[in-house]
Amino acid sequence: MIASARFNVFSIVYGVAYMGLFFWNELYHTALFRYYPVLSTFSREDRSLENAGPAILWYSWLFGAAVISAVVTVVVPRSVAERLGQAWIWAVPVALFVVIFVYERRWFY
Amino acid sequence: MIQVMLVLHVLVGAALLGALTHQSFSVARKPSAPARSFVDRFRGVNSPTFTNVIVWLFAVNVLVGGLLYPRYRVDVRPTLEDLQLRAANGIFEMKEHFAAVALGLLPAYWLAWRPPLSVDRADTRKYLTWILAFTAWWSFVVGELLNNIKGMFP
Repeated sequence: MIASARFNVFSIVYGVAYMGLFFWNELYHTALFRYYPVLSTFSREDRSLENAGPAILWYSWLFGAAVISAVVTVVVPRSVAERLGQAWIWAVPVALFVVIFVYERRWFY
Repeated sequence: MIQVMLVLHVLVGAALLGALTHQSFSVARKPSAPARSFVDRFRGVNSPTFTNVIVWLFAVNVLVGGLLYPRYRVDVRPTLEDLQLRAANGIFEMKEHFAAVALGLLPAYWLAWRPPLSVDRADTRKYLTWILAFTAWWSFVVGELLNNIKGMFP
């Protein structure tokens, strides 16, 4: 039970990191990497639509969030993980879902 | 191959919906009397036994969805843009975000449902189950809408 309290840390950080990477991309148009399905290749370059087709960034947000949350989970002291309030575990993702709804309503206007 | 994966995606999604909906109802309220109505019987399942299956189904379905995503990005999304169906694009954007956040919740969800079920984790179990159920329902309905969108908006 003590060791697995870190699972809660991973879950909280993962969602925050994912949304952080998404907004980072929205603001600065940069990503860890992109996947170009037409070329079937990963690249760190932002290639043009005419030359490379559409890019998929979702994989990079998932991968980046996994790495960040894994590192934080290992770094956070066990005592802190155990003291983490239960409400954080569900309140943070609920807040993230609200952020998603608010931000993505741009598609409906 | 794409067709096989799409059918697999739907079937795993349907199984996930069933398991999560049962579990969501079961945590909503504890039955105080023997189950008589359909809803009581639907709710009266042994919830913890669903947990590992839900974790596997969810993870597998995100993986299959991720493998299908390139085809969506190349073939389906441009069609939606040509048809000026911005809302359809929007609900899919939400689907990918919800699925990603929910994927990260699986370790905490698994931990919350690990026996012995303690009272202090009851709210965590309930809300995480509802979040996963909401995500599964949103993803399934959006997926079906987009799959049939040409017939719906000819």
